[in-house]
Amino acid sequence: MTRLLTLFLLIALFAVVACSAGRSPNADSTTTATEPQVAPAGAAPPPGYESGTWAEIVDEARGQTVTFHMWGGQENINRWVTGYAATALKEQYGIELVQVPVADIAESVNKLVGEAEAGRAEGTVDLLWINGENFATLRQADLLYGPFAQYLPNSQYVDRDDPSVSYDLGLPTDDYESPWGKAHYVMIYDSARVAEPPRSIDGLVAWVKAHPGQFTYPAPPDFTGVGFVLQLCYHATGGHEQFLGDFDQALFDATLPACWALLNEIEPFLWREGATYPESHAAQQNLFANGEVSFDMAWNPSEASAFIEAGRFPESTRTFVFDQGTLSNAHFLAIPANAPHKAAAMVVANFMLSPEAQQSKADIANWGDLPAVSVSQLPQAWQDAFAELPRGVATLPNEELTRKIVPELPAPWRVAIEEGWQREVLQK
Amino acid sequence: MLAPALSVVLLLFGSGLLLAVLQSFGYLPFIGRTTLTLDAYRDLLGSRAFYQSLGISLWVAGVSTLLATLLGLAVALLLRRPFSGRRRALFLFQLNLPIPHLVGGVGILLLLGQSGLLARAAYAVGLIAQPADFPALIYDRFAIGIIAEYLWKETVFMALVLLGALRTIGDEWEQAAATLGASAWQRFRHVLLPLLRPSLRAASILIFAFSFGAFEIPYLLGQRFPSALPVVAYRRYTDVDLAARAEAMAIAVMLSLVSLVLIVIYGRWTTRAAV
Repeated sequence: MTRLLTLFLLIALFAVVACSAGRSPNADSTTTATEPQVAPAGAAPPPGYESGTWAEIVDEARGQTVTFHMWGGQENINRWVTGYAATALKEQYGIELVQVPVADIAESVNKLVGEAEAGRAEGTVDLLWINGENFATLRQADLLYGPFAQYLPNSQYVDRDDPSVSYDLGLPTDDYESPWGKAHYVMIYDSARVAEPPRSIDGLVAWVKAHPGQFTYPAPPDFTGVGFVLQLCYHATGGHEQFLGDFDQALFDATLPACWALLNEIEPFLWREGATYPESHAAQQNLFANGEVSFDMAWNPSEASAFIEAGRFPESTRTFVFDQGTLSNAHFLAIPANAPHKAAAMVVANFMLSPEAQQSKADIANWGDLPAVSVSQLPQAWQDAFAELPRGVATLPNEELTRKIVPELPAPWRVAIEEGWQREVLQK
Repeated sequence: MLAPALSVVLLLFGSGLLLAVLQSFGYLPFIGRTTLTLDAYRDLLGSRAFYQSLGISLWVAGVSTLLATLLGLAVALLLRRPFSGRRRALFLFQLNLPIPHLVGGVGILLLLGQSGLLARAAYAVGLIAQPADFPALIYDRFAIGIIAEYLWKETVFMALVLLGALRTIGDEWEQAAATLGASAWQRFRHVLLPLLRPSLRAASILIFAFSFGAFEIPYLLGQRFPSALPVVAYRRYTDVDLAARAEAMAIAVMLSLVSLVLIVIYGRWTTRAAV
């Protein structure tokens, strides 16, 4: 018992040390943007600021506190936000960034719905890290502020013709959310245990059957788990193209059983004979780190490198994408309609799109997230800075990642597949 | 003095409960639903998954309560008599009381997982060749990890309640029985146990109510399906489909009803004990 207590005290101590290390000023943040910025030419000002300028928004934001709700499941991301980003925002704009980590942003979506129910004109959330069905839910309930993203000065670096940042799971963003980063789905394996990973879905199915108990995936609706299930379903049902339109129950009933059949076919060969699945991506990462399973998967292609760097994954960890192509999407920042500090929230969203923040975020020593800005649209000095970033030993080259991209499905399809998985795979 | 305190409790707790009941009847104005229906209850009570989850919840609460009661009773009887080092033993025994359940859950995970401390020890001495050879004590069908966590904490609670009761009972009764020729077992069975019964009942009802309605440990250590009811309620509550809230609230209302019944029973037993 005392030993256990000592263990907890040690963990707590480490946490404190890690937090304070994260708070120390980052060298990058001293390279302050000195020139006052202006909104992109012709961009419509956001609601409530029709007659103002960007400079006035920045003035209003000074001294405000931004309550930022975000998924808090990964330590390096939390450290980047509470360390680098919070320090830079304080120094450059006098804004206090307060991170509220949540296990699933759906909790914050529920909070906003609750506030709206209670008729609170002034809420408690200023900024949300969001994408996909949660964005769709908030848009459906009309609880987001906007359009604002087009007015952010740094949105000039975003390629507005790129569907992966102007659409969010098939729903146009309509500038109610501002892109923050991008993701490409990769499979992660330990090359010391699996010398040559299967690079096709059929190959993986064969591998799983030949190696009972060494594979599993996080249970949908976990984001990472959904990504894996989607790719298998695309493969089993003859491709994603048929699902890109409006939701069609008849088509769903006709095609998806093939996918459930495939998932049920491998189930007896999964970790714990498929009797249970990891509750979350974090649980899957732990299973992989502890050698209980041989594969992990991630939306962030440099996550494996960052984890090697942090000593959490073995040095021999590598990644691959399926020959069939890989999923790609973007993640965004959105401002609730009842946010008390909209001006400061917009300044934070703008800062997060700045070349310095995007470059720092892309560094695997910090986070290793793919940039939402189009690097070729940046000033030359920043293009060079991006080119100099170390790629990480387990990260695939960009050409390999982007060789064949398959889209994610619109929210109604995705939700139907999540529910179908619960019904036809988990509970069967 | 009582009125302000009670009104705060009623306002906060009562209005929350009222909202939950309303939403469980499908009153969800934020997505434009204002008609009251019993759909959520009908869907739940008509689904097999609900009964499987109810079964898990009852199993966890039942086994945890039974074992914690037996173990707590044994410990209380052991620690009751003076012996050298008794104070220290008592202190060590109570040490985990202020530790939150969540921390206990993580501890169990690190200890009992298939790559946990015990598994590593078993590997080191050559008992197992790979993590999967270690018995599944976490995320398992029988909820062993969950029950272990509750035992770790609730045994102490039970023992402390019983130790308090034993102190008030004193040992005159037992001495009287001994004078009349009662054996140790007879003294326990016919004297001590009836005297302890009110405390045993009260404490075990509290343990049952807690382990039946608690969320974090089944969420952390439970298998994905079927999950304990509070975990199902959480998943329904955070579902992207806002309409699923009605079901979340229906589960919450049913959990509250069970707790309410238990509180009534608890109240009756404790008042009778006081008389």
